[in-house]
Amino acid sequence: MKDTPLDLLKGTLDVLILKTLSREPMHGYGISRYLREATDEAFQVQEGALYPALRRLEERGLLSAHWETTDTGRQAKVYALTPAGVQELRRGISSWQGYVDAMARVLGGAGA
Amino acid sequence: MSLEPGGSKVRGRIFGPSVRDDVDREIAAHIELRARELVEQGWAPDEAMREARRLFGDMDGVARACRAIADRHMRAERRTGMWEAWMQDVRYGLRTLVRAPEFALVAMVTLGLGIGANTAIFSVVDSVLLDPLPYEAAEDIVWLRERNTRGGAMGVAWANFADWREQARGFESLAAYGAGTTTILGAGEPLVGTVGTMTEGYWGVFRADATIGRLTVPSDHAPGAEPVGVVSDHFWRNELAGAPLDDLLLEIGGERVRVVGAVAGLDFPADVDVWVPLDEAVESAHRTAHNWDAVGRLAPGTTLEAAAAEMDALTLRLVAEEPPSDYLATGAVVTTLHEHVIGSSRRPLLFLLGAAGLVLLVACTNLASTLLARGASRGRELAVRASLGAPRGRIARQLLTESALLAGAGAVVGLGIAQLVLVGLRRLGPDAVPRLAELGMDASVLLYATAMAALTVIGFGLLPARRLSRADAGSALREGGRGNAADRRSLVWRVLVAGEVALALVLLVSSGLVVRSFQNLLGQDAGFDGSDVATLELSLSPAKYPAPADHVRWHDGFVRSVEALPGVSAAGFISALPVQGSLGNGRIELDGDLDKHADAAYVLVGGEAFAALDIPLLRGRTFDERDGPDDAHVAIVSQSFADEYWPGEDPIGRTVTGGGMDDHWELRTFSQVVGVVGDVRYRELGREPEPTVYFHHMQRPFRARFNANLVVEAAGGDAAALIPALRATLQRLDPDVPPRVATMEDHLVSSVASERFMVMLLGGFALLALMLAGAGIYGVVSYQVAQRTREMGIRIALGGAPGTVRGMVVRQSLGVVGLGLVLGVGGVLLGGPVVRSLLYGLEPTDPVSLGAAALLLAAAGALASWIPAARGTRVDPMITMRAE
Repeated sequence: MKDTPLDLLKGTLDVLILKTLSREPMHGYGISRYLREATDEAFQVQEGALYPALRRLEERGLLSAHWETTDTGRQAKVYALTPAGVQELRRGISSWQGYVDAMARVLGGAGA
Repeated sequence: MSLEPGGSKVRGRIFGPSVRDDVDREIAAHIELRARELVEQGWAPDEAMREARRLFGDMDGVARACRAIADRHMRAERRTGMWEAWMQDVRYGLRTLVRAPEFALVAMVTLGLGIGANTAIFSVVDSVLLDPLPYEAAEDIVWLRERNTRGGAMGVAWANFADWREQARGFESLAAYGAGTTTILGAGEPLVGTVGTMTEGYWGVFRADATIGRLTVPSDHAPGAEPVGVVSDHFWRNELAGAPLDDLLLEIGGERVRVVGAVAGLDFPADVDVWVPLDEAVESAHRTAHNWDAVGRLAPGTTLEAAAAEMDALTLRLVAEEPPSDYLATGAVVTTLHEHVIGSSRRPLLFLLGAAGLVLLVACTNLASTLLARGASRGRELAVRASLGAPRGRIARQLLTESALLAGAGAVVGLGIAQLVLVGLRRLGPDAVPRLAELGMDASVLLYATAMAALTVIGFGLLPARRLSRADAGSALREGGRGNAADRRSLVWRVLVAGEVALALVLLVSSGLVVRSFQNLLGQDAGFDGSDVATLELSLSPAKYPAPADHVRWHDGFVRSVEALPGVSAAGFISALPVQGSLGNGRIELDGDLDKHADAAYVLVGGEAFAALDIPLLRGRTFDERDGPDDAHVAIVSQSFADEYWPGEDPIGRTVTGGGMDDHWELRTFSQVVGVVGDVRYRELGREPEPTVYFHHMQRPFRARFNANLVVEAAGGDAAALIPALRATLQRLDPDVPPRVATMEDHLVSSVASERFMVMLLGGFALLALMLAGAGIYGVVSYQVAQRTREMGIRIALGGAPGTVRGMVVRQSLGVVGLGLVLGVGGVLLGGPVVRSLLYGLEPTDPVSLGAAALLLAAAGALASWIPAARGTRVDPMITMRAE
């Protein structure tokens, strides 16, 4: 479990959603649950914040969405990456990587 | 793009309101699943629900945010959707037009011609008739003359003007003015300029300001003041090269005039170069000396009618105490200056506007029938699209887009054509129509053109869509474009083609009439032969040649020098050139009796002027060596003078004089008539010659100073070839005399400039209408033949001769043309009175014009239907039948 929850950096939620969906199409709750488990609940984020982000990504054409009947027999809105979404994910990862490397170089140097 | 039913885009677009539902359901599902997860972790069910809501956060806020994004998304989608659909329409429209290039081209050119002709003429009407004159509050400027005994207008006597100025209440300012041409020295080359003479109120009437220097002030107009002048800005820039005004002196008509300023934008009277104060001191006190015109600016609150009434009454009061005379005013004539400037060109211009309107109507009718044919042949295509589920609105929009493309292209072509026509008109210009220099295309004209294009094309472009909504698509498909609908169409076509032919006939007849009337005018025997004559309009400096006799001596010397030139067969002096209009006329006394008088033109002649102009001598003799300045005075009269004043008697030996004309009443010597010559049209080609008396220039030199022309006949017939020699002679005798040399032919041409303007424009319109009507008939018959190839194939297969089938087609369309001709004749009869005033020497019902126009149209109709008919019957009947 976390010690202190981290604030989510602006823009990172989008990349996290795209990354999550790159494995398979999912509905909103599924995405939320996966993010919670994969980050070990490291991020302090209200679960509802996910939905406007999904809408925005859909509007930008990075996600497509449709209603589907789940295995449990209920209706769920399932999101999937579009080709543009795949591209955006690639771009997001590399820019995040660059950010992390830069931070690491500076912080590593300070520690030495 | 996801297109499956239920996909968010399609759902969003079709089921807009359910976005709310969509968002709520998604949130509810999340909460429920989350609660279930918590229950699995050991939470009590209602606790779990509460916790799930807490973890989710602000449910309303999230829902609102989601809906806002979805709404924005949807609006954007709709916009791009519409844009895409429109672009698709445009692309599709362009493709269909490119696929039918013949149709597209014909439609564009047809529209372009109609719009072009209208825009051009409308521009002319706009700038000549509608635009106010370019002066401040120009609608208050009026033009004043006196009314003569016949109810017409005549010049204003100085004495009357002076009283008007003093007593009239209805004017802010009032000015007398006159204009004439005279020699101006001091501006580089000696030149003949137009000099305006005016009283001091002139500037106030036009609210003119000096652009440099100053205008004249009251002290400049006072008796004995130093002569000063104000030049036009144009004259200052071009003739004076913008020289500084300090001590800039001009010699105008022999008088030294100091230029005190320049004025711009004042073009009344037309083309004035220099304005000088009118010398009031020397003006005649006679109320019968109608030497001036007057302009005024109405006082605020005074109407034209009120001013006219006031001036009428005032003038009657002024002349009441005079001894009765035919030459006294019977009132005043007050019109707006605008009316005076454009007056006589209103009728021809409106007539031309009407003609251009007819051209546009023909173009529209033509286009309507073409669009209809095209709509009919596209019926099948549209029916297919409709049956495949394309909504009607969408098909209508598609047709509208195509029409708009056509209209736009037509408007562009039209504006191009209008621009060309305007360039042409400006060149034809100033002689023909006043104010043509102000001519330009403005925004209102552009709007007018575009609106017309849009209305025409959109109106008829939508017809196929309307038909489609009437009959259901299925029947159109089965029909394959034939049957009842085709019958209805062919009726509409007959009406359209007949209408087109009728309109074209009206135009052709009008232009035929105007052309024939122009021929009549040119063929008019003006009483002289100027084809081999060169002319020199003289203007000698009064400073150098103070006495009238000096002028006559100089003229005589010049005539002798010219006679000696090679290639000259006769040369002489004459005070009025034929068809020029500059003719003095007035009171001529007869038979030695000063109380017995005639009203006649007064012309001075010297040398061999009669011979040079080939004015025929009918009786007696012309002037010769016997008639020196000190010999007995002689005169020659025209045939009509002799007929009018000495009917049935021998004019030779009778006596005439014109004391009021040539020596201010002092010379009372009667001249003996020695000859009778033929009548000459001095005023205009189209005006009956007036009785004329010719005096000898050496015996009565007085008027030789005012109007002096030399006429020189070329032995070889080529008058233009004489011009260099005339210039050289002039240069040798007096380089200060402006060389105004031309051929008599030039004078003739410019004297009929406005008639020629009319002939050229109307002829152009008629030609256009003829071509458009031909193209219209051709288009319709082509389409009908294309629709009927099967029927024609069967007829030919069954033994019908192709010629017979062709004949049938041509006969049918000639029937329609015939109907159109009958309608057109009706139009011509109705329009007759409008044309009459423009005609010379023939009636609006002139059978030759009517017959020629009808024949021409019938021939064009026959040709336009024979070509497609021949094409339709040339093919192997088996092939045409199999093509179905």
